[in-house]
Amino acid sequence: MSFVPGQPVTAVVQRIEIQKLRQGENLILGFSIGGGIDQDPGQNPFSEDKTDKGIYVTRISPGGPAEVAGLMMGDKIMQVNGWDMTMVTHDQARKKLTKQKEDVVRLLITRKSLEDVVSQSKGQNPRPGCFTYKH
Amino acid sequence: MPNDKYANMEEKLWILEDLNMMYIRQIALSLQDSDIQKKIDHEIRMRDGACKLLAACSQREQALEAAKSLQTCSTRIMAYMSELQRMKEAQVMQSVPRRSSDAGPMEERLPCKGKVAISDLRIPLMWKDTEYFKNKGELHRCAVFCLLQLGGEIFDTDMVIVDRTLTDICFDNTIVFNKAGPGFELRVELYSCCSEDDYSAGSTPRKLASKLSSSLGRSAGKKLKAAMEPGPCSPVSNGGASPLLLPVPSVPGPKYHLLAHTSLSLSHIQDGFRTHDLTISGNEECSYWLPLYGSMCCRLVAQPHCMTQQMMSGYLKVKQCGGDPQSWTKVYADLKGTSLFCYHRQEDVDANVELAFTIGINKETRIRASEKDPQSKVQQICVSNQYGGEEVTHILSAESREDTHRWMEAFWQHFYDMSQWKQCCDNLMKIELPSPRKPAPITPKQGSLYHEMVIESSDDLSCTVSDILARRMQELELRSQLGMSPTWMSMFEENNTKPAAFPRQCPSRLSGHSPCSPHRPPRSPASPPRCPRLGLLSSDASLTSDSDSHCSTSPCSHHRGWPDPSSNLSLVSTSPFGLRPRTLSLDAKLSTLRGRGYGGGGGGAAFQCPCQPPSSSLLAPLPISSRSPRSQRGMQTTLSCSSSTSSNSSSNSEGSHSPESSEGVLFSRPSPARRSLRNLRARLDPRNWLQSQV
Repeated sequence: MSFVPGQPVTAVVQRIEIQKLRQGENLILGFSIGGGIDQDPGQNPFSEDKTDKGIYVTRISPGGPAEVAGLMMGDKIMQVNGWDMTMVTHDQARKKLTKQKEDVVRLLITRKSLEDVVSQSKGQNPRPGCFTYKH
Repeated sequence: MPNDKYANMEEKLWILEDLNMMYIRQIALSLQDSDIQKKIDHEIRMRDGACKLLAACSQREQALEAAKSLQTCSTRIMAYMSELQRMKEAQVMQSVPRRSSDAGPMEERLPCKGKVAISDLRIPLMWKDTEYFKNKGELHRCAVFCLLQLGGEIFDTDMVIVDRTLTDICFDNTIVFNKAGPGFELRVELYSCCSEDDYSAGSTPRKLASKLSSSLGRSAGKKLKAAMEPGPCSPVSNGGASPLLLPVPSVPGPKYHLLAHTSLSLSHIQDGFRTHDLTISGNEECSYWLPLYGSMCCRLVAQPHCMTQQMMSGYLKVKQCGGDPQSWTKVYADLKGTSLFCYHRQEDVDANVELAFTIGINKETRIRASEKDPQSKVQQICVSNQYGGEEVTHILSAESREDTHRWMEAFWQHFYDMSQWKQCCDNLMKIELPSPRKPAPITPKQGSLYHEMVIESSDDLSCTVSDILARRMQELELRSQLGMSPTWMSMFEENNTKPAAFPRQCPSRLSGHSPCSPHRPPRSPASPPRCPRLGLLSSDASLTSDSDSHCSTSPCSHHRGWPDPSSNLSLVSTSPFGLRPRTLSLDAKLSTLRGRGYGGGGGGAAFQCPCQPPSSSLLAPLPISSRSPRSQRGMQTTLSCSSSTSSNSSSNSEGSHSPESSEGVLFSRPSPARRSLRNLRARLDPRNWLQSQV
């Protein structure tokens, strides 16, 4: 999941659609994020590359909308509703996720296990593919 | 040879000065007024001292202060001397036999004196946008102060350094003049002095100086030129009075120039803030120039003595008109302010016992003497007031004719005072004197943290930041100890609504925390009222978990481990995630900060990582509080330690600050101030790896 600045990023991603849950007067997703270009990437326990300043999922509330949708801890969020999350500050990321006017967020996430599966299957299938499957 | 000429000039000046002193002494002697002479002597000594100090100063700040005292002393001397001259003139005039046509009424009624106070001076500046947002180039700074003169009293305010990051020049001093008459003229003068001497002494830090290019920019060159040549802005250090009478000795060093002045008088008095116009002298070319907006805001109030002091008192018999002819009440009456206070006995005045009654004496009151009382042959005084459309008259009767006369005189004087002091006599205006205890100099002149940061190449950045934070904490502590906690601090103290289910553990370390308790000198270990703060300190506590053993040990017992990097997450010494050694020092520093109560608001997210697997798995074993289902999802900020010591609170090690989507907060949604403070602290602390809940 490392990237070379200036070069396009390729990653195996999974689409996850989370329906926000209304709690009181808030719409919540049920997970926590960490990271951002203004944060210290060295403290991210989930990233493989310790210079990766992306947004990662650090916690999933059990039974929450995120868990139901298939989000897992350690996932790196690449896009939220079309907005890029690979080069944003922590606060910008949070804002994109917590827009009160939207009640569903469509995330593009990537995780190590996806890459692994793809590279494994590459051995059987010469063409790498982006495929979605639910855990 | 120029040097000789200057030497000669100086000698001449000194001689003149000595002559002047002798002249002054003679005048003072002849007036037989040694008071002024003592004052002049005192000021001259002060001035000499200031000159010497100025010559000996090495630091710019000291030099500026010394120059300021020099300026003040010179102005005072000038004022005393003019006073002397006036007195001499008056004496001379009196000794000349008056012609009868000149004689006016021998006894002229003089209005009473009073106190005049000016406070909260604020002078707005008007920087050009380009100046204000300029990021490069050295800061053009000026040192400014105000001289306030009323009658013979001259006071100066503290010196303020002004540069383009300030939008107003504020002087916090309250200056009180004690012997002002109603026709007073309060002269306010703003002096400024350019505070950069990059061209002269080598006060620029060497590193910076070496970086500065050798050529002077256009504006810098202009300023230098202006400073070199005497021009329209050349220093005229005496206030325009005769230059030869005690000229100021020229001393090398910073010199203040008059930048603006204004005069205030009775009409400007108001029990509130008012804006006044300033007359600006000097122009853009001067080195001491500041772009003033042209006005000055201040609070000018007066307390005439007739309002604050007792003007007349004595025994009177009072009867209300329209009442029983025989119902005379004997009272001890006290004329003060806008009323005649009537007490039963004289002792009551001091004892603050309730009054018998009060008769209003104000501008609408009418007093006249009525016919003599047939029995006592004493004139009576009738006092009429309008109380809401109705006219109420009281009849006062004094004990003797002299008393009556004195009372009438007092009333006339009182009315005269009120007519002279006009609006000051409507209500008593408050004069707030600064508390004798000076607050510690806390706020740095420039507000931003970045201005304070001095990056030295050899030092660790983390050390610098934590040092700055430590200093800030000290300041906050100091401030809170003096009882002057910033306003947001009060939020912490008020929030006592935390559930009792709170972490105790955290040891002595936490006990030493929070600057939020101003009057609690010895740091006692955590007690319930402190819980709110403990909550806020959560992430900080957890922060130390790396370096500090106790907090981290317990969590280790619940060490669920991460999916991946779980193993080495105990102490920083094992350097999880390849934390570089410098983080260690930062940790150590921060833990000492913690010991001092860092983070009254440090609820920002802490990455509890090493010891706080924040996963839900940890939450499970905890006895969940009643709020539970929610609490599992989204605890905002709670003690990390608590999770380990299995307290009842469903604590979550993550601090977070997504106010929009939070629920199940342990305490009531934090107020914006606290939230922003926490955010600020979290952001400032590079050790934090922020996490937000969405």
